[in-house]
Amino acid sequence: MLIDFLVNWLAAVPEFAVPFALAALGLLVIEKAGVLSLGAEGFMLVGALAGIGAILGLGDHPAIALAAAAAAGAALSLLFSLLVVTLRVNQVIAGLGLVFLAQGLTGLVGTTQGWVNRPIGGLSALSFGPLSELPVVGPILFRHDAVVYLTVPVFALAAWILGRSMVGLRLRAVGDGPDAADAAGVSIGLMRFGATAAGAALVGLAGGYLSVGIARIWIEGMSGGRGWIAIALVIFARWQPWRALAGAVLFGAIEALIPRVAAAGIQVPQYFVGMIPYLATLGVMIWTCTRSGSRSLEPRALGLAHAREDR
Amino acid sequence: MSEISPALHRPLPAAAATAPGRRRRGRLGVEIRQHASARLQAAALAGGLAAGIACACAILVGAGVGLADLAQEFVVSILTSPESLAAVLIQAAPLAIVGLGAAFAFRVRFWNIGLEGQMIIGAVLATAVSLADLGPEPVRLILMACAAALGGAAWMLAPVLLRLRIRLNEIISTLLLNYVALNLLLHLLYGPWRDPATSFPNSALFDASERLAEIGWQNLNWGLPLALALVLAGAWLVGGSRVGFLMRVAGDNPRMGRALGLPMTGTVLAATLLSGALAGMAGFVICAGAEHRLTQSFATGYGFSGILIAFLARNTPLGVLVAASLVGVLFVAGQSLQVFYQIPGSAVQLIQAVIVLCVAASDFFVRHRLRWIA
Repeated sequence: MLIDFLVNWLAAVPEFAVPFALAALGLLVIEKAGVLSLGAEGFMLVGALAGIGAILGLGDHPAIALAAAAAAGAALSLLFSLLVVTLRVNQVIAGLGLVFLAQGLTGLVGTTQGWVNRPIGGLSALSFGPLSELPVVGPILFRHDAVVYLTVPVFALAAWILGRSMVGLRLRAVGDGPDAADAAGVSIGLMRFGATAAGAALVGLAGGYLSVGIARIWIEGMSGGRGWIAIALVIFARWQPWRALAGAVLFGAIEALIPRVAAAGIQVPQYFVGMIPYLATLGVMIWTCTRSGSRSLEPRALGLAHAREDR
Repeated sequence: MSEISPALHRPLPAAAATAPGRRRRGRLGVEIRQHASARLQAAALAGGLAAGIACACAILVGAGVGLADLAQEFVVSILTSPESLAAVLIQAAPLAIVGLGAAFAFRVRFWNIGLEGQMIIGAVLATAVSLADLGPEPVRLILMACAAALGGAAWMLAPVLLRLRIRLNEIISTLLLNYVALNLLLHLLYGPWRDPATSFPNSALFDASERLAEIGWQNLNWGLPLALALVLAGAWLVGGSRVGFLMRVAGDNPRMGRALGLPMTGTVLAATLLSGALAGMAGFVICAGAEHRLTQSFATGYGFSGILIAFLARNTPLGVLVAASLVGVLFVAGQSLQVFYQIPGSAVQLIQAVIVLCVAASDFFVRHRLRWIA
């Protein structure tokens, strides 16, 4: 009984962790370039809607749907970059405005296109032959969809680019000391536009996975605060990719536990259980803030617009 | 970084976005504007608003509403029909209160994104007073209002203390608490507080003594005078009191304030708790004035509208009144667009976001000067 519960739970963790992981990684890339991205929830929503829209419009091709989700996130990020990089709008206002813009836009488009509450096929799990049939290990490790298995290489790639490559060095320079990077000939505008588009594509992909991979349906506002939780995860991870992945797995485990608590016959009021992810996020934030001294890679120019004339 | 030294001696192009042209045609340069006149600021605000409204019209026309119908819904009907005007004013009252709440928090540089959660907790406590029949009937309404203000302030307490004590980012903490409050509301409405008469997921109707009475013109209730009084009190607090001065210091230069021995922590605490209390009051005004019961989605959208109103009003209480009226028009017109043209309610939210972004972008021209450099 307990073993069944544990296996069942652990097998569900990766699917729930992937949206947090991809979104947190995308935000990390954006913030490394010094752009405070509160618009995560918005990028996720447009990604989720674009994924469903692609499937309903172009046929049941999950790969195309996920690509559309990433493209939608990147496209919306151009508007955001135009505001905060080119026009130097306050990044908090622009980020909040963007979330509400995306909520309104996806609500409007989803309803007028008739994409609400239409179930789709979506992603299916890969099969590893006999491996998938193994008793405990099979469901936990070998019965997931392709995105789950791609997430770890994506993290490795992003960590390598950010930490080891020339582009990553320039990107971090733009986020840590834009004046010096500017003097060194790095284009601040280009770096920030590029980083925001790449990061927003990842956040959009996270949203697309949410709708195409997990829910398999579009519901207005379906990201349900996961974008905000991802923002908190980046702070919790102190802007280090692998720690962000660990945080995402933690939150995936919490979220996977919720439907299983009721199914296991434990009597907890449903809506109190619904509070858990948000309270857990708050708890993790408090824990991060009280633990000072450990190495944080927070970009020093995070949230500040760069104006060369301003020096 | 090997490229540092030669680049330092390069002549500075004026803006990162404009690439220097090969042929010397001149280019658009950007300069920081040190001082912007009031007239220029007003012109930029008007320009941003106009651009936002133009985008909003384009969206609605794209969604299938004719321009003449838009003019009818947004302007003509509100100016000519007393019922519509009353609907706008009823809508504007809670908007003004929640916008005032947002403005107080923003004045001390505290991003209160949790207005909706504070409205919910305020309304929940007011409803608790109503359901428990606390106190004698003549003062029940006052008790409900006090409970709502206390509830809103209490919901603000944790984020502000966490921010002051351990510098926890208040944007995220206040926002997360919105979801917690919403879940609490749903728990109450689907559980112990479900209306016994209809078994719908909303509370039982308030008694007559627990509703804001009508003031005698159309169906306006006392919510509007209450909002006006709160705005006037807020204007005095901001412009005419010591607290207003302290808030200005806390917003502009808290380090200097601390160095001068001014109570900066207390000021932030007071302004934010006031912000939460006002949001709670707004929740009370909606429930006791318009809905007469606690419903699931009474607060939906008000949080962002409060932020928008404070932002458009530049955090001034009297400006809040003007902005709240405009948003009230949008809400009422949005409702009739929903009924008569099948435009989803999310269009109202989209329009507000577009306006915020346009006005925020227009600020660029206040802070910068564009010049053609030959």
